[in-house]
Amino acid sequence: MSSSKSPTLTLSQRERQRSAVRSLVVLIIALICAVPLWYILINTFKTVPDMATNPLGLPKQWTLRNYTRAFATVPIVRSLVNTLIVTFFGVLLQVLIGALAAYGMILRKSIFTSVIGVILMIAFVIPTQSTLIPLYRMESSVGLVNTLLGLIVMYLGGAVFCYFLIVGYMQSLPFEVIEAARIDGAGPLRIFWSIVLPLIRPILTTVVVFQTMSTWNDFMTANVFISSSNLRTIVLQVYNAVGQFSTDWPSFMTITVLALIPVFVFFIFCQKWIVSGLVAGAVKG
Amino acid sequence: MASQSAAERANAHRRRTLGLRQDLTSFWFLLPILAVFVVLFAVPLAQTIIYSMTDFNGYSLNMHYVGWKNYHSVFTDASTMQGLVFTILYAVAQTVLVTIFAIPLAVTLNRKFWGRNFARSLFFFFSVPSLAIMGMVWKYIFSPMKSGVFNTVLGVFGLGPVPWLSNSTLARCCVIFIAVWAQIGWHATLYLAFLQSIPEDLYEQATVDGASSRQQFVHITLPQLIPGIVTSSFLLMSGGLKVYDLPYTMTKGGPGYSTYTVTQSIIQQGIGQSQYGLGSALAVLFTVATALVVFAQMGAASLISRRFQ
Repeated sequence: MSSSKSPTLTLSQRERQRSAVRSLVVLIIALICAVPLWYILINTFKTVPDMATNPLGLPKQWTLRNYTRAFATVPIVRSLVNTLIVTFFGVLLQVLIGALAAYGMILRKSIFTSVIGVILMIAFVIPTQSTLIPLYRMESSVGLVNTLLGLIVMYLGGAVFCYFLIVGYMQSLPFEVIEAARIDGAGPLRIFWSIVLPLIRPILTTVVVFQTMSTWNDFMTANVFISSSNLRTIVLQVYNAVGQFSTDWPSFMTITVLALIPVFVFFIFCQKWIVSGLVAGAVKG
Repeated sequence: MASQSAAERANAHRRRTLGLRQDLTSFWFLLPILAVFVVLFAVPLAQTIIYSMTDFNGYSLNMHYVGWKNYHSVFTDASTMQGLVFTILYAVAQTVLVTIFAIPLAVTLNRKFWGRNFARSLFFFFSVPSLAIMGMVWKYIFSPMKSGVFNTVLGVFGLGPVPWLSNSTLARCCVIFIAVWAQIGWHATLYLAFLQSIPEDLYEQATVDGASSRQQFVHITLPQLIPGIVTSSFLLMSGGLKVYDLPYTMTKGGPGYSTYTVTQSIIQQGIGQSQYGLGSALAVLFTVATALVVFAQMGAASLISRRFQ
């Protein structure tokens, strides 16, 4: 196309031209896709009538009232703390259990470990949805429904996923290092803690980032297990705000923005690991 | 002679006890995940299977065996069937559409241009916020009122407001559209990883042989991307079958049951209405279906990878 239009252009000029076109097209598409995010953000600075008549433009008059109202009416900080608690402990335990299991599996090959390998394969296939009803009854019989601890227990199922990611990586470790430490008299727990864990740090980062994202964003489990308003996670709080602010759209958008800020910050800080983890996981298997 | 065999025996004994000791250590490390498996997977799954054959309602202690009655009800219940239809439609549609759009996007993002890193990050970012929250926001964008974003834009061109989420077909399209919007960037990043592992000299050779860029795409890029397509479509398919958040927060499964999902059905009938038997029967069928899809895709993946290596 470009060659017929301008046969006198050199190769590098043509390449530059193409890359300019590419920039234009991709960035325009990206910005169109980003309109929803712009829509959420810009409307937090508008009044209700302003948003209704002008959903996408800049506010006629900038206001911060939506933010003060959001903090005054919805326990946002409380929800963020709840989410932080369940995400922190949930992910910590999931990853720890997964890593311990992966180490136990590579430590020794026997009939016992191969049986467990099959068992975990089965667990990997069972969706949470299928066990939700009995788990709800189980937790309710021991008083764990509608508690943060109960939610954390539910999230422990993620350990199986962590195990699969970690065990794949562990198989590529230099086993001689572990063997040497054992000959030097280090106990298995000590080897795990001070040799294995530092060695598998790259995959741990990936797993932690993935599980943090999925636990933080979880809606299904939290929606089923949490009913008190002071125990809601942030996603549930936003969901609840839809009903609460059914006509006050700007206030709803403000709560959404407040819910998304931590995710955004997390993304900015972890972008490198998210993408490299995705790449490592993808190319491997 | 005798002493030698005794030494051997002692040695063998030592080896056996060492082996036992190692088995025991390995067992301690595996204990937590075994506990997780028993408490969160095995026991509940067994209970689900038992409930599915009873009339258990969660309150009365005496439950009765009802055989396949609940399974029969699942297939004759109109709402459940509609949930099944939409769940499959959603899973297939998102798998196909995301694949179709993510590959060209990845190929473009792999070329050099100004603003490339920004574009990569932005596309990826759409998948970071929870789909539940994005569903709620998109509900406002698709608002059937004039103040909805899409209807405002249409209004500029003099077109009347469209009842986006109150029409069954449109609502289904909208839900799938958002799923695609949210996941394209993530899967493009996945494809990018596979693209970057394609050896550069394949393209150089093709250029020397005079292959056009379209030919290069069809004969080099696509075949090399097959492992990537397997991974990506596996994630999309298994994730799609488990869908709940997005349709629930956007449409609550409506209008009618047009965006109802299997998961929503399990939760509403099983927990919401305490029809444990019915919900459990659905859960069992759902597990079997998911397992079949997962194993089928694993099989396909190993077949394909054997063929291409």
